[in-house]
Amino acid sequence: MNLVLKLIYRADRLVSGSTYWTLRRFTRTGQALLVALLSAAFMGLDTEGSVGYQAFTLLLALLLVAVLSGFRFPSRFTVERGLPRFGTVGQTLRYGIVVQSLSPHPLSGLALLEDLADPRPRFGEWKDYKLDETRHVRPFRLNRRVGPKPFKFATIKEVAVPTLARNQTAEVSVEFTPLRRGIVHFAGVTLARPDPFGLFRALRRLPLSASLLILPRRYGLPPLALPGAMKYQPGGVALATNIGRSDEFVALRDYRRGDPLRHIHWRSWAKTGKPIVKEFADEFFVRHALILDTFTERPHSELFEEAVSVAASFACTLLTQESLLDLLFVGPQAYSFTTGRGLAHADQMLEILASVRPCHAQPFGLLEQLVLNHSSSVTGCICVLLAWDEPRRQLVEKLKLLGLPVLVLVIQPPGETQPLDPGPLRDEPDRLHALEIGRIQEQLARLR
Amino acid sequence: MKPPPLLLGATLLFWGWQSGFLLVGAVLGAVLESARVFRARWEFSDEDFGRVWTFCALLLLASALYAFTANEGPSSFSNFFSDANPRTTTQASSATARTAGSIMRWLPMIFFPFLAAQTFSTREAIPLTIISMIARRRWRRATPAERAAPQAQRNFHIGYPYFAGTLFASSFHPAENTSFFWGLAGLLTWMLWAHRTRRVALGFWVGLVALVLGLGFAGQRGIARLAGYVQEQSPRWLDSFLRRNVDPSHSKTAIGQLGDLKLSGQIVIRLHPKPGSPPPAYLREASYRQFKSPVWFAGNSKDDFETVAEDPPNSGSWSLLPGTSNTTGVTIACYLDGFSTNGSPQGMLPLPTGSGRLENLPAYVLRKSGAGTVVAEGPGLVVFDAFFGPGRTLDSPPATNAATSEDLIVPDSDKAALEGVIAELQISGKPPAEILPAVAGFFASKFTYGTWQRRGRGAGTGSSAITRFLLETRKGHCEYFATATVLLLRQLKIPARYAVGYSVHEPSGDGYVVRLSDAHAWCLVWSEAQQTWIDFDTTPASWVAEEAKNRSPWRWLSDAWSRLTFEFSKFKWGQSKLRQYLLWIMVPGLALLLYQILFRRGRRRQAGKKAEAAIIVHWPGMDSEFYQLEMQLAGHGVPRRPSEPWNEWLERVAEIPALAGLQDPLRALLRLHYRYRFDPPGLSDADRERLKHETQVCLESLNRAKP
Repeated sequence: MNLVLKLIYRADRLVSGSTYWTLRRFTRTGQALLVALLSAAFMGLDTEGSVGYQAFTLLLALLLVAVLSGFRFPSRFTVERGLPRFGTVGQTLRYGIVVQSLSPHPLSGLALLEDLADPRPRFGEWKDYKLDETRHVRPFRLNRRVGPKPFKFATIKEVAVPTLARNQTAEVSVEFTPLRRGIVHFAGVTLARPDPFGLFRALRRLPLSASLLILPRRYGLPPLALPGAMKYQPGGVALATNIGRSDEFVALRDYRRGDPLRHIHWRSWAKTGKPIVKEFADEFFVRHALILDTFTERPHSELFEEAVSVAASFACTLLTQESLLDLLFVGPQAYSFTTGRGLAHADQMLEILASVRPCHAQPFGLLEQLVLNHSSSVTGCICVLLAWDEPRRQLVEKLKLLGLPVLVLVIQPPGETQPLDPGPLRDEPDRLHALEIGRIQEQLARLR
Repeated sequence: MKPPPLLLGATLLFWGWQSGFLLVGAVLGAVLESARVFRARWEFSDEDFGRVWTFCALLLLASALYAFTANEGPSSFSNFFSDANPRTTTQASSATARTAGSIMRWLPMIFFPFLAAQTFSTREAIPLTIISMIARRRWRRATPAERAAPQAQRNFHIGYPYFAGTLFASSFHPAENTSFFWGLAGLLTWMLWAHRTRRVALGFWVGLVALVLGLGFAGQRGIARLAGYVQEQSPRWLDSFLRRNVDPSHSKTAIGQLGDLKLSGQIVIRLHPKPGSPPPAYLREASYRQFKSPVWFAGNSKDDFETVAEDPPNSGSWSLLPGTSNTTGVTIACYLDGFSTNGSPQGMLPLPTGSGRLENLPAYVLRKSGAGTVVAEGPGLVVFDAFFGPGRTLDSPPATNAATSEDLIVPDSDKAALEGVIAELQISGKPPAEILPAVAGFFASKFTYGTWQRRGRGAGTGSSAITRFLLETRKGHCEYFATATVLLLRQLKIPARYAVGYSVHEPSGDGYVVRLSDAHAWCLVWSEAQQTWIDFDTTPASWVAEEAKNRSPWRWLSDAWSRLTFEFSKFKWGQSKLRQYLLWIMVPGLALLLYQILFRRGRRRQAGKKAEAAIIVHWPGMDSEFYQLEMQLAGHGVPRRPSEPWNEWLERVAEIPALAGLQDPLRALLRLHYRYRFDPPGLSDADRERLKHETQVCLESLNRAKP
């Protein structure tokens, strides 16, 4: 079985590699002529009934001459890429590449292609994905929805480079559309020059490595009355910059390293001879827990990707309001990140979410433990779940028993029309929302 | 990408020349290129293009149906499905190839309306969603935000795909000379010239083209020679293997084969006796004279074919035996399932013994031989009347010199067995009138019919299959009985021949049907008294019942299919008037579509707008028409840069002299757009209408100011 899979994997690599080579090497006209060549070869089999073989030899000769005359490309260049810090899945970003020609002759008709690091998976990863695909295969339907390709990072359009004289520099703008979150590695830049017929391209590769972090896709959220938002503590001051630094004076205490100088009580210092600082009443801000369910057995689950996107949407939107947000999830271990009100920014939360991976090894109980540990400091929970099964219902039930308001969002595969059983949320069913892949934006827009 | 001027016209002319539609090609080319003279253009919407595309698709479907019926597709495929063997496979694949060839040749005509629509329209490019179902599905599923993205909808120009298709269509003919090669080379060079890289010197480019032409020419010569060589060297047995077992020159029997012989129940002939006429017992296709086990050969009769004249011409009346006036008649429908050297269907006609005249036979050529074989070249299915009677037949009389007569030759290997049988019957030296009943009685009483041949004791001892049949097994099918009878009579110096054809015994409706399993072999005996050949069948009468035992319980299904294909073949081969009607049936459908394209644009557009309104819009103002203006202006060379404020962009637009006049209306529209997009109360109905209307006005003036 493993041997057969290895053979298929090799064939898969070969096909994808040769397709990549063909698409880069041949121009659109060249690709059309390749198709014509194959058709003519098929027709040319019947040399008595059709003159297709004449077309075949002519096209073959044309492509051969094009390939031979288009292979050499001795010109030299320098390139410099100006990448932004982040990109977002599905949103086209543009950046500039400065190309300088070091060739003694003017160069025209050039195209610039970005080289990403080989995105093809290793055998183990590929095998996991394929076996998972066969397990979850759905009946064949003509109009079935094709999910995103798990191993394709981005689509990058090739760009025409203006004519370059000797030592001339030109800046081109590259359109880059990320398709997956995470880090995209750039290996280099390739300059392509077509042959005299405009069919085949000579390529000049220039190594230029860089990387770009792609943040998860985000959905627009309507203004939300989040659970717990109405329990805002009366002692809180919206303009405070740090937790526990309210203007309400409580007591004096000895100076500890890190205390702000403006809190030093000078008179007491003068009296006692040692630094004394003023202590203020602790502040109680709205603090939400954003619980991300990472427990899926599927290595490339679309449900998980959408859950990350929904979590990212909340992370961005909530931070524009005045609250704290704890992101709780389980990866190789249990993680908790707090952002908001000067602790960290949305970017950092998104960076974390950009790198979250599904969790196969840990039990779901670990997340439950993590959440319950945090339950004392939070005022409400937003749970982004991948299913609505018994362990997840129990978690929600325990949170409810602790008196925490909960908003539960369950991501569902496309075409899932069965309404969810509210279970522990039967007293407030409007706190449970099913988000169907493909209609998530629409369903999030209905949240109140 | 748009083809250079005149290229498509020249390509159509080339296609017309190569595929025998010169006039059509010239007319289409002239119509297309007239767009350079006549500047009138039509404003076709996407829906209109969609209808033209549907029209072309219907034309393609109609052409495919026509080509399939005109190229024996139904009969070949029904044969293939009912009895898959190398012959039917070859027939089916060649029918497919011919059908595909016909459709390919017509492609430029079929898709010309679409090309003409684009050429004479104001649109440079058409959305891919019009022709591609996949693109259409994606577009329908896309969210408004995805639709608003640049390049969300891919556009195309039909020019180059049509160019490629036309060249493809031009290649479906045998290579008679190199005109196709040079024509193709010229058109390709023309195309490449239009898209060549400007960085190389003209001389170098021309040199490369010359190199390509040289290599291509040498290559096609090489392939033609290689194909010729392979054809010469290919084993001849392969060719003969693919032919049917019966032809006028020889008949390969199953004599000597072991195991069960299964015959298909497919109906091959239908008969309707004329009122008052009895049905013929046998329909003979051919007779043979020399036996070299297991094959019967026509011997001298092989080459004595003579053409039968149609009298009077084009009347369908053919006289096989001039001077006879038979009144017993039967209508026969049969398939001509072989092919003549010029490619038209050809086959042996199954005729009753003593057929003297054929009426209503739509054959092109009819030939008869001294072996009683009548070969017709004509449509794939023929329905004709045969008039027959006792007496004279087409067969040549036996040679007078008994020593050289082919009708008396007996293989040495079987002589001993035959002498043994003659001794057993004690008929040596008796007159034929006594011999024939004795032989018939001998086979009827001591032999049984069976299609199963076991391995007998004599097998492997060198004795022939006929010897074993006569002395040992005494069981076999009709070929054994007929061959043994012929050889036995010849041993007794009575001239005899081996005849093949069909036995007629199964009534169906008011006529009879003949199946492939009714194929039969019998003996022709020369009657000195009557000076003619008479049918002499020694196969036990039980063979019909034996064959019936093998009948499949699903035969009614295959019979129904056979009837259907028969009726279809009748109309296909012009034996019914249906074919003419079929084309007329399609006319109203096509006319209705044409009417819709030309006159019913308004209503459809309205419906389209309603459907668009039903799409859920998530962000207010995302459906603003102002975005269309942005796309249109991008086409004028002023795309809005990423993150560029609209106002600044409009200033850049105003810098273009041709668009300077639009500055004020665009600013007013932008204000409306902003309000529509971001003002919480939104636009009033009147303002919304104003945004729509004025955007439309701007778009139209932009269209007029196309660069």
